[in-house]
This record gives sequence, C-alpha cells and structure tokens, in this order.
Amino acid sequence: MHSTASVMRFVLIMTSIVAMLLAFLQNGLKSKHDTNEAIYSKKATLGAIANHLSIDYSQISDEQVEEIFGSKIKQIVVNSDGEKVPEEKVEEKGYKGGLAESVDLAKEHKKPLDEKLLPLYVFTKDDGKEYYILNVRGKGLWDAIWGCVALEDDFNTIAGVSYDHKAETPGLGAEIKDNKAWVKQFIGKKIYDGDVFRSVYVRKGGAKDPVYEVDGISGATITADGVSKMLAKGIAEYEPYLKKLRG
Amino acid sequence: MGDLVNIFIKSAFIENLALAYFLGMCSYLAVSKTVKTAFGLGLAVIFVLGITMPINWVINTWLLGENGVFQTDLTFLRFILFIAVIASMVQLVEMVVEKYSPSLYNSLGIFLPLITVNCAILGGSLFMVSKEYNFSEAVAFGLGGGFGWFLAIIAIAAIREKIKYSAVPPAMRGLGMAFLLTGMMGMAFMGLMGIDPASFK
Amino acid sequence: MADVAVVEKKEAIKFGKKERKLLTDPLDDNNPITVQVLGICSALAVTTGLKNATVMAVAVVFVCVFANTITSALRKSIPKQVRMIVQLVIIATLVTVVELTLKAYAFESYKQLSVFIGLIITNCIVMGRLEAFAMANRPYESSLDGLGNGIGYGIILLIVAFFREFFGKGEIFGAKIIGATPDYMINTAESAWLGWYQYNNLMVLFPSAMFVIAVLIWAHRAWNPKLVDVS
Repeated sequence: MHSTASVMRFVLIMTSIVAMLLAFLQNGLKSKHDTNEAIYSKKATLGAIANHLSIDYSQISDEQVEEIFGSKIKQIVVNSDGEKVPEEKVEEKGYKGGLAESVDLAKEHKKPLDEKLLPLYVFTKDDGKEYYILNVRGKGLWDAIWGCVALEDDFNTIAGVSYDHKAETPGLGAEIKDNKAWVKQFIGKKIYDGDVFRSVYVRKGGAKDPVYEVDGISGATITADGVSKMLAKGIAEYEPYLKKLRG
Repeated sequence: MGDLVNIFIKSAFIENLALAYFLGMCSYLAVSKTVKTAFGLGLAVIFVLGITMPINWVINTWLLGENGVFQTDLTFLRFILFIAVIASMVQLVEMVVEKYSPSLYNSLGIFLPLITVNCAILGGSLFMVSKEYNFSEAVAFGLGGGFGWFLAIIAIAAIREKIKYSAVPPAMRGLGMAFLLTGMMGMAFMGLMGIDPASFK
Repeated sequence: MADVAVVEKKEAIKFGKKERKLLTDPLDDNNPITVQVLGICSALAVTTGLKNATVMAVAVVFVCVFANTITSALRKSIPKQVRMIVQLVIIATLVTVVELTLKAYAFESYKQLSVFIGLIITNCIVMGRLEAFAMANRPYESSLDGLGNGIGYGIILLIVAFFREFFGKGEIFGAKIIGATPDYMINTAESAWLGWYQYNNLMVLFPSAMFVIAVLIWAHRAWNPKLVDVS
C-alpha cells in the first residue's frame, strides 16, 4: 500500500503531464480542426448546386471548395423581414467576420423568428446564371437534421438540395444524406403555386403530385416528415426576402 | 415538469440505451445469466447514471464550456474528466454503501467496479452533451436511461433462465443464444422508434 | 552497468514461442469478442460500413498497444488505491489523442463515428487487458498482448462490417457492387440470373449486428469445440 502523500504526488504529476500533452496537441491541431469544420459546411452548401459546378462534385478537393467560395459565391445575411443585415450587425451578434458562413445555424434555429439571422449564398454559374442557396434546419427521428436548398433565379424552381443529420439511423433516416438518387428527386420541383407558397412535400408511398411532391423513404417516415416540415418552415422564413427579389 | 416526464419515458423505452443504442453490452451479456444478479447490476446502473449525469453536466457546462469558469474551450478534456468522475463516483458509492448499508453492499457491491467500464454510463454522458440538455433534463435522461437499461437486462436474464432447459445446439449454447435474443429484442424495440411522448395529450 | 543493460536488452527483443502465442491466442482461442465477450458495444455501432470499421479497428489497436505498454511501464509505481482511475486516465488520454488526430486528418470518419470514438474508453477489451495482463507483465510482452487483442478485435469487426455492408447496401468500402440501379457494378435489374436479388436494409440496422455475431460465434465454436460452454 502507498501512503496518501505518495498517491497524491503520483496523481498530481500524472494529471499535469496528461493535461499538458493534450493541451499541446489541441493547440497544434486547432487551426486544422477549424478549417475542416468550415470546409465541411461549405462543401454541403456546394452540394446543393452540385450539378451546376464546372467540376465533378464527388471528387472536389478542399482547395477547390475554397476557390469556388472565394470567386463565385456572394454571401448575404438576411432577416425575417426580408432585409439584408449588414456585416457589422452580424459581427455584433458574436459572429467573427460577419459573413454568412460564420453564422451558427444551430444557435440561430433556437431564437424567435424576428431575431433570427438567415444566411444566404448566391452562386454565379459560368454562364452568368445565379443560384440562391438557403439554409434550413429541423428535427429528424433522433436528433437535428439540416440542409441547403438551391433555388433558380425564378425563386421558385429548386435547383438542388443537400441534407445532413446528426444521428439518423444508417440505412433508414441517414438515406436523406447518403441516397443520392433520393436527393436528386428534388431537382426541378417548385415551391410556389402562382403566388401561394407551397413548399415541397415528401409523400410516404410515392409522390402524387409531379410538381410539389417527392417519394418518401421506406422505413424512415419520421425523418422524411421531418424533411417536409423543415422545408416548409425553413424556406418560409426566407420568403419576405425572396418576395422582394421576385419583385 | 411534463417535459421531464417525456424525457424520462423517451430515454427509458424509446431510446433505450441497451436495446436501441446497444450500449453496455459487455456487462449486459456477462451478468444476465440469472435474474437475481441482473437485478443487482441493473439497480447499480440506475444509481450511478443518476449520480454521474448531473455531475458531468455541471463539469461540461461550467468548467469546460466557453462560458465556464476558465472562459476557454476545454472540451478536449471531456473524455478524461467524464471517465474520472464516473470511476471516482463508483468508488465513492462503493465505500459509502459498504459502510452504511452492508446488506445493500452484499447485493450490489460486486457489480460496482463493473459499472465503471459499462459504456452505457459514459455513453449516457456523451449523449447528454450531444443532445444539449439542460440540468433537469440531464437528470431525467440519466434516471430514465438507467431505468430502461435495468428493464432490458432483467428481461434478457428471465429469457435466458428459461432457455437453459431448451435443446440448443452445443455451439450456440449460452453466449450465442444471448446474442440472438438481444438482436430479436432490439428488433422489437425498433417498433417503438420515433414515438414522441409529447404528442400524447 | 553496461553489461546489465545489454543482458536486459537481449531478453527484451526475444520473440519465441511464448511471444508468438501472446499474439495469436486472441485471434482464435481467446478472441476478445466471440470468447471473452468484451467490447461488444462498439462492434455493433460502427460496423455498418467497412470504412468506419477499419478506422475503429486501427484506433482500438493503437489504444490497446499503447495503453498496455504505458500501464505496464508504470505498473510498479501506480498506487493500488487509485489503480482503476489511473488506468482509465491513461486510456482516456490515448482516446483523446485519437479523436484530435481524426478530427484533423480524417474529418469525414470523425463525423460519422462521433460518440463512438469516446466509447473506446469503456471498450472493455482495453481495460480488461490492462487489469489481466499489463499490471503483471513487462512492457514488451504487454505491447504484444495489446497488439494481439487489438487485432483479434479488429478482425471480427471487419468480418461483421463486411457482411453488413455487402448484404445491407450492396457495397464494399463504399464501392457499389451489386444492386438494382445502373451505377452498381452488377446491375441486378438487367441481369437474367440475379433479378430476384435485392439487398436487405435490415442488415444495416443495429439488431442484425447481433445476428451476425451470433452466427460467427456458432461457426467459431462448431469449428473449435473446446470453446463450447466457456461463457
């Protein structure tokens, strides 16, 4: 048996060595972690317009992501009244840089509608056509789901979507991210019926309306319902701004 | 209050740590040969989850978070602190129980060291972080999760006691059957997936 | 002094029958998953695809080897009263190192494994080997024991992941092999022989991991009858 003093000494030495080692490692890798996080979400944003990029999205490199973001994408932050929020105002709310990419979506999602900041990305294709990418967020079966929705410049036709999730079941709910064929269904769907906002509905058992509905995922009804709700609520938040753009 | 009850029910039945997430399987399979031992281990799990969850919540929010005492992001120390809390709590509980309630110690005592390496305990704490619960929700989640685990291990122990008298191929006896049974129970529990207790009003 | 050091060194690098047994025993007679029933949780959660299973297997081998070596090197100075906590802190440190490294260099895997990297800490294999072996043996033997057990665990992980990914999604390492759309290598929709085949989504879900392991145990014990009734 060791004496209490020697136990204390051992524990103290050990804790300080361990803490130092980890702090050192954490500091060394911190910048890499941050760029990884940033690139991951930028990549998801580009995923919504994968078909319109000049390069193959499935093999896109980190540098290419940064390059497209730097040269072809304009970042705007809007609010639910349809006004642009200037960068300084965004920075005041605690987001460094004030760009759309710095906005913490999970945090904004919990705020009441009139305080919410809504990031918007405008992508200009090589032929000059513009695409508007919105961020939406909702709840799946187990935890949060979120996604990017790209609209064509009629602000009505969906040009593409990309979804992600925190903890959906692999093979079922996780298909919203993994099943590329399912995600492709959204392309070309419309969100407006004349002037009335309709959003896109994920229909269990197969789409009944060719313009406003897509097929569900078998075995993942709740996640699919979550997607429907997320789209209806999320796109509606941008509506005032979209209305202004439509003129 | 209603929210807390919902979280309790949800974590006990719908997001059962043992049968929906398959956490704590090692002790679940090793200590489920008889209902009596399973009962003891189950109780100990409820107990330890109920204690460690709030402590880990406090540590995670007040010590490690960016708005905590040190004002820096120390989350890289999370694993170490969580497991240290769990291990020391288990040891503390063991000592206290041994001193003040020898009869409880006799029924629980031998299981307590096993609990430190029960992934349901650490997993519970990590899930609590990723689900961003507040303090009272974390307590409800801990107790509910423990209760669900308790029910699951008793259920499998009861089945295993019965199945001992069945003619099972020798190579499947014991462990093999336990795996198969757990898989089937897991499938049954998948039927509860996605039920939202909040909608029963 | 110099002589002593040389003798020590000579003994340390020996790789004889005993050492080989340390490495091969956990692959068969004493397999962590199918015989010792340790480390089941992560074996279930991360085996939905071979890619994740490989990352997990490598991580566990790393943690196993280093935790065993470090604990064994410190075994004489670790106070008995706080033994468990010290061991757990060593494991937790190594796991944090793994997490931080994955986050920096394999971000996709990090995102997908999420909570389950942390759960390596409570992977009973690591803890079990520390208690059963490293606390009583020299660092060299302990590292071999860790390597053997890590690999024994990893192999089962990969086997389970293969069955689940192939029969559950028709893929191997994310490459589409067999399925009913044109982007699969073997397109069952157009094949005259395989039109009936469809991959089974159930295989990707948690319970099927249990079934796959149950069948593995059955096969293992039928082939090696002395393991029947060990646990």
